[in-house]
Amino acid sequence: MKKLFLFTILILSFVIQAKSQSVEDSLKEQIGEIKDRISGLDERLLTSESSLSKLTKIKLSGYIQAQYDNFENKLSAPSLYNYFSIRRARLKVTYEAAEGIKFVLQPDFAPGSLSLKDAYVVLNEQWIKSGILKKTFSLWAGKFNRPNYEVEYSSSQREVPERSLIIRTLYPGERAIGAKLEVTPESIPLKIQLAIFNGNDGGFTQYSDTTGKSTSNTIENKDYDNFKDYMARATYSFKLGSFGGLDIGAHAYFGSLKSSTNATLRSDYKTIDSSKVGNSVSRNWFGGEFQFFADVLGGMSLKGEYITGNNATLGGAKFANGNLLPNFQNKFAGYYVYLIKNVGRKNQFAFRYDFYDPNTSVSGSDVNVLKFTGDNTMKIGALKCTKADLAYTTYTLAWHYYFDDNIRITLAYSIVQNEKVGKNASGTSNLIETYTNPNGTPGTIDYSQIFRENQLTLRLQAKF
Amino acid sequence: MNLIKIKRIAAILSIIGISVISFAFMNPVKITVKGSDTMVILAQKWAEVFMKKNPNISIQVTGGGSGVGVSALINGSTDICNSSRKMSQTEIDKLKARYNTLGIEIPCAKDGITVYLHPTNKVKELTIKQLSDIYSGRITNWKSVGGVDAEIKLYGRENSSGTYVFFKDNVVKADYAANCQTLPGTAAVVNAVKKDINGIGYGGAAYSTGIEICKVKKDAKSIAYAATAETIKSNQYPITRYLYMYVRNRPSGAIKTYIDWILSSEGQALVTQVGYFPVR
Repeated sequence: MKKLFLFTILILSFVIQAKSQSVEDSLKEQIGEIKDRISGLDERLLTSESSLSKLTKIKLSGYIQAQYDNFENKLSAPSLYNYFSIRRARLKVTYEAAEGIKFVLQPDFAPGSLSLKDAYVVLNEQWIKSGILKKTFSLWAGKFNRPNYEVEYSSSQREVPERSLIIRTLYPGERAIGAKLEVTPESIPLKIQLAIFNGNDGGFTQYSDTTGKSTSNTIENKDYDNFKDYMARATYSFKLGSFGGLDIGAHAYFGSLKSSTNATLRSDYKTIDSSKVGNSVSRNWFGGEFQFFADVLGGMSLKGEYITGNNATLGGAKFANGNLLPNFQNKFAGYYVYLIKNVGRKNQFAFRYDFYDPNTSVSGSDVNVLKFTGDNTMKIGALKCTKADLAYTTYTLAWHYYFDDNIRITLAYSIVQNEKVGKNASGTSNLIETYTNPNGTPGTIDYSQIFRENQLTLRLQAKF
Repeated sequence: MNLIKIKRIAAILSIIGISVISFAFMNPVKITVKGSDTMVILAQKWAEVFMKKNPNISIQVTGGGSGVGVSALINGSTDICNSSRKMSQTEIDKLKARYNTLGIEIPCAKDGITVYLHPTNKVKELTIKQLSDIYSGRITNWKSVGGVDAEIKLYGRENSSGTYVFFKDNVVKADYAANCQTLPGTAAVVNAVKKDINGIGYGGAAYSTGIEICKVKKDAKSIAYAATAETIKSNQYPITRYLYMYVRNRPSGAIKTYIDWILSSEGQALVTQVGYFPVR
């Protein structure tokens, strides 16, 4: 009995051992399978991480501005007084190829005017490891904003719907093709920008060939003369403790156009400088700027810029008598001042005073008055000041409501005032223009009065 | 009759006014704090103690990294940003454009970026140059710095972290090596090094419990110091930094009360308790 019992125990222990062995084997097998699965997942994760890390180098941003405008520009053709439009529809793609190397591409998809706004490469200096010059230099090449405060200030952030008239005149389209060196020392709040551009601003330059045939350069991608335009800008930031800060700066523009005629008329409509076809006609100006930020019951800022100098447009088209129209070099001056006040976290008020006089050598009373005598050979004496010489003042009021980080609603009203022209001996205005009302009836604009060109804008901006 | 009407209207307006005011007082003021992961433990401790003393003020603390905090400050989704680095000029420019202020910077604690090693690692001290070489990938074997013949395993933070930026700018002074494994938070870095005998990591001093701290020296000729209260206060430890709070405008109301309390002896005592070092 005892032997039988021991035999049974022995058999059972063998069975249990065999069973436990098989359980152990099965567990080992399962662990092995799980390990293999984890290794597989690890591999897939590494592949995904590698693909994702490439994607993180691409950054997409942009904004859409849909708006309703109601305005009083009677001379617009066709006669329009209000419309809905998409002012800007931008998509900015930034690719950071490596530390310090960036490619940027920004088209504007506004209906009817698809255009390439930005296309540039930025190379940040990486070789200076310490000292004052560490991470100081960056080189830009391609099409990018010209170095100027209001030009570089994004339209998605600007506190009024459009840039001031002087900036729109001097820097049409804001961007230009060329190269730029930026110097921004880490330890000094100083920024220096030195740039060189083709100079065919905004892709459209009116010029004429040696035969006097007027034509235009609409190919922005290449230059049409060998002259290059140069720009320099420097800004310095002061901190005013917890009160705020003050940024001051200056910029200069040295440019030229290729003359297609043999004379250049100055903006006084009297002085003629002889020129040769192919010579350069200079356009140089200087500007000073400031931006003052104060923490007074929430944020507040006062910003301004003054620019003065000589601009130029090319002549060349033939007069009826066969003489060539001279180039025109105009002395100009203009400025703008912004007052911006944040009201709580969601609201913002802005006011801008903007003045631009395209010809400081004459006044409004000189328009259409044959008072200058010039070179009879050129028949320039017959030229008169036109409405293009009139100064304009614009007051813009704007209120912004920031619905959230992405949505901004803007209501803005611009009051535009022209410089008045004179009247003749009989009391009639020296400049009257006719226009047609939408209902077909004729109307007149008397430039001896301030005529209404005000504009109301309601804009919805979505930014991402 | 008119007088009665006026009295009724006045009574109704008073009731509405009192209700609005009471409602405003009954609802606790909410302050949101976002940013540095390094500062999360400290910020949570501050919030916890402060809310006990001020039950009418509610403070919500979240991490995400200094970069995330600064972005939140710019886009208006946080009241206070915690940052283990200074705001960059680009970030200040964004704040200027949106809020017309430069932001207010408040140094609220001091930290020594600590280098973590596995307790079995033979290496006990490193120079700044050696750390730079290790993290930039120029030194890849512990043997080169007096350790065993084994490959160095690098652990670090994500690029949204202020600690990542500070360590890169002040120690590595180059790009991080491609094989540096980035982890979401200093606690994760510490855990990774605890499990990896060949691992090395970096992070805030408050996370150094239960792990080997590597002494650091400025150069080969200098004395090596561990990150302690004394060495950080006396600037002997070579990788010290301030921890900051940023607000958009000069603080007022509940935010001012909270910041004043943080900078008081009571708030600063918690800094030491958590493992960082007071600024006052």
